[in-house]
Amino acid sequence: MAIAQAMCTSFKKELLEGVHNFKNSGGGTFKLALYAEGSGGKSSTTATLGATTTAFTTTGEVASSGTYTTGGGSLTRVDPTTSGTTGFTDFADLSFTTATITAMGALIYNSSASNKAVAVLDFTSNKTSTSGTFTIQFPTANASSAIIRIA
Amino acid sequence: MISFETGVQVHSVSVMTSDGGGHSTEQIVELAMDKIMSVSNTAPPAIRDQAEAFQNHLRDVLYHYMELARREERANIANKMSQAGNSEMAELVRRI
Repeated sequence: MAIAQAMCTSFKKELLEGVHNFKNSGGGTFKLALYAEGSGGKSSTTATLGATTTAFTTTGEVASSGTYTTGGGSLTRVDPTTSGTTGFTDFADLSFTTATITAMGALIYNSSASNKAVAVLDFTSNKTSTSGTFTIQFPTANASSAIIRIA
Repeated sequence: MISFETGVQVHSVSVMTSDGGGHSTEQIVELAMDKIMSVSNTAPPAIRDQAEAFQNHLRDVLYHYMELARREERANIANKMSQAGNSEMAELVRRI
């Protein structure tokens, strides 16, 4: 599969190195970029993303449209917290308006740390907006569903 | 030997799209409902029924006030347009 949902392996190492800071105040700038499969990216490119992805790439990224500009949108951080023995963090939902986009997945990356990759998100099917709104909704922030968890 | 076992995990996201304009009120209500509550499939039937009844009531309330908010916002925009002398545009907005 060209886009496979995964926590990037390099991110796990970088967590131990203190590269990433998800705090609401003073944290890094995390972005979400959208990707297409089947030559649907700009310049007819196809995304290949997964656990081995180490950084943001333009290959397979969807073209700018509406409020989506290449490189993706900035995510609003939510302070990391814990529940039981699990630590987790969250982002606010992200929307791109008046956009014509077909995307199969996304990459969360840290643009304030050399665009290092965090996680690959697989939408499992093509999601399309036509002159409309494309919204990515993050799961409920709890120990079992939060977008990024350390259990 | 001291060792720790842990896992760094990523969860799936939901994607909602619209064509020829923004999200409908129904879509926005569903986005909100997903954040407010979920009912476990494994909950005892009596509790699950009560939770689902409350969920449906909450959905109806949210829909009503979301629609009201959108209508009032359009009224405010139309009013500003009308005051600025764009009465035709104001009427267009009012009729959305």
